[in-house]
Amino acid sequence: MKIHFWGVRGSFPVPGKSTQRYGGNTSCVEVRCANSDDPGAPRIILDAGTGLRRLGKEMMQGLFGEGKGEAHMLVSHTHWDHIQGLPFFSPLYHAGNKFHVYARQRDDTHLRTVFALQSDNPYFSVPFDAAGAEVGFTELTDDARFEIGPVKVRCTRLNHPWIAIAFRLDYEGTSVAYVTDTAPFRDILIEQKFIRQPPKPGDPLHPEDAAKLQAMRHGVVKLCEGADLVIYDTQFTPVEYAQKPHWGHSCPEDAIEIAREAGAKALMLFHHAPERTDDQIDSLLRQHRSEQERSGSGLIVHAAFEGMEVDIQRGGYVAVGKATPALEPNATGPHHDAQEPTWK
Amino acid sequence: MEVTFHGVRGSIPAPGPETVRYGGNTSCVSVRSRAGKLFILDSGTGIIALGKSLIATEFGRGQGHAAILLSHAHWDHIQGFPFFAPIFVPGNRFAVFGPAKSSSMLEGMLEGQVNPNFSPLYTMRNLGATFELHPLHGDGEDRPTSWEEVQIEGSQNPHGHATCLAYRLTDCGRSVVYAPDAGYPESGPSEASLRLYQGADLLIHDATYTPEDRADRLSRGYSSFADAAMAAVRAQVRRLALFHYDQDYTDAQVDICYERCRVLLNDLGGSNIELIAAREGLTISL
Repeated sequence: MKIHFWGVRGSFPVPGKSTQRYGGNTSCVEVRCANSDDPGAPRIILDAGTGLRRLGKEMMQGLFGEGKGEAHMLVSHTHWDHIQGLPFFSPLYHAGNKFHVYARQRDDTHLRTVFALQSDNPYFSVPFDAAGAEVGFTELTDDARFEIGPVKVRCTRLNHPWIAIAFRLDYEGTSVAYVTDTAPFRDILIEQKFIRQPPKPGDPLHPEDAAKLQAMRHGVVKLCEGADLVIYDTQFTPVEYAQKPHWGHSCPEDAIEIAREAGAKALMLFHHAPERTDDQIDSLLRQHRSEQERSGSGLIVHAAFEGMEVDIQRGGYVAVGKATPALEPNATGPHHDAQEPTWK
Repeated sequence: MEVTFHGVRGSIPAPGPETVRYGGNTSCVSVRSRAGKLFILDSGTGIIALGKSLIATEFGRGQGHAAILLSHAHWDHIQGFPFFAPIFVPGNRFAVFGPAKSSSMLEGMLEGQVNPNFSPLYTMRNLGATFELHPLHGDGEDRPTSWEEVQIEGSQNPHGHATCLAYRLTDCGRSVVYAPDAGYPESGPSEASLRLYQGADLLIHDATYTPEDRADRLSRGYSSFADAAMAAVRAQVRRLALFHYDQDYTDAQVDICYERCRVLLNDLGGSNIELIAAREGLTISL
């Protein structure tokens, strides 16, 4: 299994000098079966933040440029930073391409309606239904299990406003878990109600909430059990979390606790805070990596950056490298989408 | 008047090494009136950094009062709003101007963005600040409008299948025009828009594309730098700022757009017009 990181940032895209090394695009991760000469090997995309735009350009150079592509998009939840790249995803505008979107079911709205709202008047110029490609939606329950070709997918619920879900992908003895966005499972239960005032430290939890959180935590540990790689929302530092426990994000410390308990082999710090500079991510990574090395836990800690490619091989060997930039800026003119969207 | 650019990019934020000089944030321009009042033109991601800097001022104490003027509701012109720190501070007040037939339609545009499916804010009513809504038609039928002694005028420009409101702010005899996302017909800007631009001290104009790229993408409803130059010459403005660059244009490509636009302006008889390529952080005093 090969994992390519196209967007690693949380909340909103952050252009600028301080994000050049880790990247400023919002969440988008591509998963490809290592055996990609297998014609049945599915193309899987986790979340559709602004990183998706560049991935779309790369996809247009292959089958998707001919209108013969098919991909599966697993969406953790529909907050902007996880879907805002979709209107700028070139393969969507090419008739013949097929997309399967999977996300958690909503109580009152069909998924298609939620996605269509993003592209609707007055917010965007091409309505979702006029995009050209065929898009199907699968509404998932919190504990859904399904298969995409040879890839087995499992879900579990997360602790985030309006509810997000995590995914685990298993393919030929290799596995990755994608756990974003979530708060830790000890201080506050975050569901569909707006939380105006977070509890103070030490405020007792309602027993029902505590039980729900316990079950949620158990689900996440099970999902990550023995995984070769766990990609985890580590937007906050402990100081930031203490101020905003109701925002639904974790710290590296929380991710490490879960990954260790689950016996995962490697942890990827992901969904970096927009204000976190490259140097700050460097030092967070150094701190947590060396702590794990010293502790002898065996957990290897990485921090995701745009363009990073992770090769997971059977037996748990995880190689991390910088992928060849898929798209160098063109020296002679701006990039043109291979196929112009129909904006009529 | 002092004009500052916070986001100059069109369509979608474009992080990366190739956009560091001009900046990759989407549309946001602020104007300080002579009396020190703040006007914010559009709330693309550029507004986020502006918001952070405002927290060190009266906006951090809940005593801030500013106008936000929205040209239209396409994402790149509103997507920074939910992350604009001063909206979370109780006591701050914002006058929101925007193209709509009624206050509730204007409110609906903002509410749609913070809908719980998309945003943890759920509704505008959860924000600490208060908002006073001022819908504008921009069709010549608006009553004379001003805010804190600055005159506000608008004119609708065509923008693909939508329209986009261009603004003119006039303060103590100086004026700045903000005209993003303008997809003129072959005949160029309407008489009403030319009147809005006429003699402005600064015209901030959509220059998404080169003329060649625009020709390929006509239906998207954007200007090229040539459209901007022609509008500037016809309206005899003093300065022209190119703005709203395509997300795929590198800094070097924007440099070339600027050079080509300078030559074109001279050819069109606009050699007296000062040309500026808008970039994040640039301030112009009028």
